[in-house]
Amino acid sequence: MPDRGTRVPFRRVDAIATQGLTKHFGLRRRWPGWSAGPAPTRALDDLTIAVQAGEIFGFLGPNGAGKSTAIRLFLGFLHPTAGRAQVLGLDVATAGAAVRGRIGYLPGGIALYDGLTGTQLLDYLGAFYARPPVLRASLVDRLELSGRDLARPIRDYSRGMRQKIGIVQALQHDPELAILDEPSEGLDPLMQRAFYAILDERKAAGRTVFFSSHVLSEVERVCDRVAIIRAGRLVALESVAALLARRRRHVEARLDAPAPALVAALAALPGVSAFEARDDRLAFGLDGDVAPLLRLLERAPLADLTIEPARLEDAFLELYDEPAG
Amino acid sequence: MSGILFRRTWAAQRVRLSFVMLALAVWGFLLPAVYATFGKEIGALLQNGAFANILDIFSRFSGGDVFSIQGTVALGLVHPIALALVSIQVVGFAAAAVAGERQRGTLEVLLARPLERRVLYTTLLGATFLYAALTEAAVVGGIVAGAVLFGVASELQPIDVALCWLNAVALFGVLGAIALAASVSFDRLGPALGIALGVTLVGYAFEFLGTLWPDAAWLRPFSPFRYFQPMRILAGTFEPRDLLVLGAIFAAAVAWAAWVFPRRDLAAPS
Repeated sequence: MPDRGTRVPFRRVDAIATQGLTKHFGLRRRWPGWSAGPAPTRALDDLTIAVQAGEIFGFLGPNGAGKSTAIRLFLGFLHPTAGRAQVLGLDVATAGAAVRGRIGYLPGGIALYDGLTGTQLLDYLGAFYARPPVLRASLVDRLELSGRDLARPIRDYSRGMRQKIGIVQALQHDPELAILDEPSEGLDPLMQRAFYAILDERKAAGRTVFFSSHVLSEVERVCDRVAIIRAGRLVALESVAALLARRRRHVEARLDAPAPALVAALAALPGVSAFEARDDRLAFGLDGDVAPLLRLLERAPLADLTIEPARLEDAFLELYDEPAG
Repeated sequence: MSGILFRRTWAAQRVRLSFVMLALAVWGFLLPAVYATFGKEIGALLQNGAFANILDIFSRFSGGDVFSIQGTVALGLVHPIALALVSIQVVGFAAAAVAGERQRGTLEVLLARPLERRVLYTTLLGATFLYAALTEAAVVGGIVAGAVLFGVASELQPIDVALCWLNAVALFGVLGAIALAASVSFDRLGPALGIALGVTLVGYAFEFLGTLWPDAAWLRPFSPFRYFQPMRILAGTFEPRDLLVLGAIFAAAVAWAAWVFPRRDLAAPS
């Protein structure tokens, strides 16, 4: 976790960098003779993160945690109460339009102009950028939007098709940074897979993706690093691999024959917890490296062995179970 | 100004604008027909008879009547039918331009482009003025066409008609600017439309009451409609001060919007 109060210069390589970014809504105005009104809502509190260029960065938290507030601050829709944010090296408070000219944005639950056809919408939204929509044909093809689909008015689109067209409008001009809020919402599993492949290609092309979601399996699948926020405050910021490496795995083993020495050795193994031995079945949690366990089991009379991988969901829930700091 | 946004706004409004302009042109065309057919004769009868005070009452409220060509033009511009049609296009468009998009959720899609809020506002203000100019041109065009067809056009001075059009555009430009200022100030269409229609209807009521009821005459200076007197313009006594007052109200509305809109937080739609 970053040290609160630390203020370091922004690095030019960061696609997004924030320092102490804070947003409170409904700040009380003190006028003589007027009551103070309701207390302000702390939507985001002292957020300091750095998203490196070329990575896929996950931004996690349940509804109301402050994800959308942070994104809206990056886009200049909101003005910070305190702190600052830079996107692609530009201060969002003073160079909002220049920033937005270099990014692509997919809002959560995107609303579109229902009277336009898909093609008209993409032409209209793409016309504001200096970059031509070089990726449109490829995205439309990958997301299986046919020419007939694009010729129909958007009011006739299903939710999934709206999401697909939302993804195309966000990425068609090959932005340096894509900010995607719940991007796979409404996509069927096949389209989700196609979308993940698109994200992998963005990364391979050196582009940055800032990805907000509460579908933890997809974050685990596509993201390099994650930030987890709770009640507007950052509670974790690290790589997915590091987060998972620190998580407890669940191990279950079934033995062919009784092995009391093995059971005793397993129970005493560093990192083992919640050890249960019942008949020929063993179950326990394992923190840290699996190599000592595997060495111990090498000559054991094993009938079956299951080591469940650590999941981001467990890490997420664990962080959310901790009392708020 | 953003040409892309302006073209899109035009494309989105052109059907409604066409219908409104057509209705206004027909309305304007009918009035000289009424005047030429029987308004002239009835006017002469009223002036010579015991009902001269009726003409006086008509002449007080912006001079709208069908007993003179000047009154006919004035009636075409200030009658509630014309005002309602122009308001539907100009005030309705301006009130919904930002608050309506915000309510639908499309504003954030638009503002995610490299488009500054100031540019968005000035583009919509330009469109509002264009709609005011076109709708008023439709009424005046209809009136002139009717006057030509029914042989009464020679009773009109082209410069006075042009000044009437200019003053009408200024009036609805102001009402549109107020509506747009309300639109950039709210997240929902309801309050923006309420303020815009409130200013228009209350302003009209103030002028109506003030002209017909001497005890309410003090209300008139508070109405934007007070600063558009077509009968006086057509009589050759155009008051540039009226345009200055409308210009001052317009500047105040623009200043409000220019201050509020870029500084507003656009939170996630709820």
